Parts: sequence; C-alpha cells; structure tokens
Amino acid sequence: MLKILIPTLLLIPTSWLAKAKWLWPTTLLHSFIMTLFSLAWLKNTSETNWSTLNPYIATDPLSSPLLTLTCWLLPLMILASQDHLAQDPLVRQRIYITLLVTLQLSLIMAFAATELTMFYVMFETTLIPTLILITRWGNQMERLNAGTYFLFYTLATSLPLLITLLALQNKTGTLSLLIIQLLGPIPISPSVNIIWWTTSLLAFLVKMPLYGVHLWLPKAHVEAPIAGSMSLAAVLLKLGGYGMMRMMLILSPLAKELCYPFIILALWGVLMTSSICLRQTDLKSLIAYSSVSHMVLVAAAILIQTPWGLTGALILMIAHGLTSSALFCLPNTNYERTHSRTMILTRGSQMILPLMATWWLITCLANLALPPLPNLMGELIIISALLGWSTWTIIFTGAGALITRTYSLYMYLMTQRGPVPNHMISMNPSTSREHLLLTLHLLPLLLLVFKPTTIWGSAY
Amino acid sequence: MADYREAPLASRPKSLDPNEYFNLSSDFRRAEEDRAAIRANLKRQYQLQLNNPLRKELIEDPALTQWVYARTNPYPHFRPTYKTSLLGAVFGVVPLFVMYYIFKTDRDRKEEQIKAGTFKRPFSLSS
Repeated sequence: MLKILIPTLLLIPTSWLAKAKWLWPTTLLHSFIMTLFSLAWLKNTSETNWSTLNPYIATDPLSSPLLTLTCWLLPLMILASQDHLAQDPLVRQRIYITLLVTLQLSLIMAFAATELTMFYVMFETTLIPTLILITRWGNQMERLNAGTYFLFYTLATSLPLLITLLALQNKTGTLSLLIIQLLGPIPISPSVNIIWWTTSLLAFLVKMPLYGVHLWLPKAHVEAPIAGSMSLAAVLLKLGGYGMMRMMLILSPLAKELCYPFIILALWGVLMTSSICLRQTDLKSLIAYSSVSHMVLVAAAILIQTPWGLTGALILMIAHGLTSSALFCLPNTNYERTHSRTMILTRGSQMILPLMATWWLITCLANLALPPLPNLMGELIIISALLGWSTWTIIFTGAGALITRTYSLYMYLMTQRGPVPNHMISMNPSTSREHLLLTLHLLPLLLLVFKPTTIWGSAY
Repeated sequence: MADYREAPLASRPKSLDPNEYFNLSSDFRRAEEDRAAIRANLKRQYQLQLNNPLRKELIEDPALTQWVYARTNPYPHFRPTYKTSLLGAVFGVVPLFVMYYIFKTDRDRKEEQIKAGTFKRPFSLSS
C-alpha cells in the first residue's frame, strides 16, 4: 500500500518542481506508473478476504476494484484536462494537478481504510478538492451555486454520520471494519434505533445519490471542469456505495423494515430520472441524470442485502464508473471546440469527426447496457436480485431499463446524426490525446468482459 | 409587392396572401411590415456573421441561450398552482405510497408462506 501512497503524495512536489514544458508528460507518466502498481491489488489470495493488511489500511475484494478504478482515473483526468488548462498560467496548472492528486490520495485512503473513522475523515476530505475544482475552474456563473449545493447536501447528512460513528464507538468499543463484521446486533436503545439507522445511511445515500436528494448531482456535474466531472461521476459516487456496503453489515436486523422507503425512492427514481433524461437540452445534464438513474439501481441493490445484490452493485459501480467518465469526456471534446453544451447546436458530428463517432457509439452502447459488457451483467444481476426481493419490482426496473436504452440512443442520434449546423466552422480534428483518453476508458471495460471475477466482490 | 411565388417547401405567408391583402387595415399592414423589417434585419445580422471570413467561433443565438437557460432553471420561477400541485402529487407522492403498499403486502404474503412452509421454489437459484 505504501508503494502507492508515497508516490501519490510525492506527485505533489513533482507537479511543483517539474519544468513547464515537461509538467504534463511527467505527471501523466508518474500517474500511469502508479496505476500499473495498483493493478496488483486486484489479485486477492487471502482466505479472510483482507490483503495488504496494516493496522490502518487494507484491501479486500470489495474495495480493490474501486481502488484500481481510482488509480486508473488519475492519469485519465490529467490527460483530459491538458487542453483546457493550456492557456492558464503555469502556477494555476500546478495547483490544478495538486488538487487532483490530493483528491486521489484521500480517495485511496478512503477506500482502503479499515477504521470507519478514517473512512469518514477521508470521505469528508474528498469534498474539499472537488469543491475547489468546481468553483474555481467551472465554466459558468452557476458553478458557485453548484458548489454550494454539492457541499451542503453532503455535509448536512454526513455530520449526523459522525455522531452515529461516535455513538457506535461508545457502544461497541471499536470501529474497525474487521471486527465490526463479526459482532452481533448492536445494542442501541430502541428509542433511537430508527434515527441511528437512518443517519448512518443517509450520508451515503445522498452521495450515491438517492432519488429524493439527488439535486446536487446535475448541478455539480454540469458545472465542473472535465476532470472534476470525471472524478465525481466515476469515483465519488462510488464512495457512497462503498460506504453503504460497509455500514449495512452493522445495521442488519432493523434493515428489513426500514429499507422500504429508500428502496421505493430508488425504484421510482430509476423511472423518473430516466424520463428526465429524455427532456434535457444540455448534454452534460443528460449524462448527469443518467448517472443518477444507474446509481439508484445500485442503491436499491445494496439495500436489499443479498449476495447477488451486493455483487451486482459492485459490478455496476465499476462499469458505470468507466462508462460515465467516458461519457463526460466525449461532450468535453465537443465543448472544447464549440464552447456550447446544447445538444441541438452540436448535431451531425459523425460527418465532421468520424473517428470520434466510433467512441460515441461504443460509449453510448455501453451506457445502454449492451451485452456482454459488465454494465449489462451488473444490471441483470441487480434486476434479478430485486426480483427475488419482490416480484413487482420488475415493472420499475424493466421500464427504467427500457427508458435507459431510449435516452442512450437518443443521445447518440442527437449528437452524431442529423444535419450539421450551418454556422460551425473551424472544428479542430480529434487529437490523438482524445482518442487515447477514450481508448483508455473503454479498454478496461472490454477487458472486464473476459474476467468479471475481478469485480465480483467478496459476496462470491 | 414583388412577384412572390410559392415553392414546394415554402408556403405563402399570411401577410402576402392576395385574398387577404386588400382586406387588411393599414395599421395591421404597417405592423406586419415592421415585423418583417425586424426579421430581415436579424437575417442580415446572421448572414453577416455567417459569411465573415475572420470568424472563428460559433454564432451566438441569444434566443437559444435564453431558451436553454429557461429550460435548465425552472425552480426560481416555480409557482404552486392547482396543476403543479396535482402533478407533483400524482408523480411524486402517490406512487411512493402505492409502491409501499404493493411491496409490503407482497413480501408479507411471501413471509407468511415461508413461515407456513408452503412457499414453492420451482427453480434452484441463489439470490
């Protein structure tokens, strides 16, 4: 673990000391090497599931795919930001990379934490670089509003989580995940049982996001710069899912009654957010709502607490992380050329940028859960698990899946087909940097088709 | 008026229909001509920008910008009326209660069957 943490930490001095001409290639190469090392986490040979064990940090089959995804995403974020930061002064470029690296460090420590306290502290720490990224480097005036929504939605629910964790520490004497999974039901007095259950999950449900509390997500995703959008969509949402999976171990006997409102909100949220996607005019907003609709499926699957549910949730989280991040990179390529996110303005790009149309096609197909990609596998497992929970959920998940296909195809057809707007001139051709970026997103997704056991998680 | 012929995809605008033209009041005709002048000016602006050889960026359409902004920011202008309250209740509140009722009765029925031992499991599945 230290062989990843220390290079990540030292990427900060690297970004400050590298010469101007070599800043981006150096940081890119450094982060790629760290990614290469992080692939070693995927091999899990221990019987008790916990590897690279240390008093504070460990990995297990639940967290190792998420950790590898996080490490994979840093070079991609650096690659994606290269263009729009080129006209910023050098100091600001260095600060940007430092922020990305700080975010990365806190994410690695959050996913690898064995103590819930450390997880909580890192969970909060990820908010700060993301807030700075959104409010400083966002492109419209609305970014201030977006940053406020993002910060306060998460804080309002995570401060009760802190109190819950402290109460848990008082009752059980420990917050270590290795011990908590072996304890029995927690002796919390019946009068505050429900409050305790709700507050421990609400922070993660807001982060996921759950349908009723999802308003921060479209704002934050749309206003963030590309690296912010990528990390938000790919990793920060998964922090919520991962936290839920860890916390639900302790919350068990009460969960059978109390999970109903959240599962209902989640299932209705699939339908509602997918339908909203069909009515969007802003491309990034469409992808943000698509993220919501996938993640509420994950939330529902985690809440029903069956082995298939947890497996499907983890597979869908990883697959969605890669797909959603690729989906944010694609309109960013459009935005860098036309400075507009409106869908109607950027039609017909298959004619202008035919190679980029290939990536649009593959990514939209991945988003609509085409077999044999892990997006479909995760969705199928989740839908089957929910079917086992109650047969009537198939109405909502089936209709939601149908609308998901519809809006994914709609997004593809609106941006690629159709008449090219008359007034678009000087569209620079797709750079090989952009092709590399999208290849690196889609290649792991295709490779995961062949070995899904890496992202199955510990329920199998 | 100049010779205006209809084309297959361009129908005759109402203000130039000869059947209507001579029945209109002069006020109306003046207003129509003013509006046509504004439209022609907008078209001229667009053509100037379109054919400007030194232009490198998109032509900004302020109407489109306003429309996109209006579509993305409905919340400050929300007014609770009968229609919006009804829509909110039908799509936001009632389904949640209906779903709770459906899931609860279905799962309670299944739980009773499991406890009585009559729950049939025709497939051998893990879940």
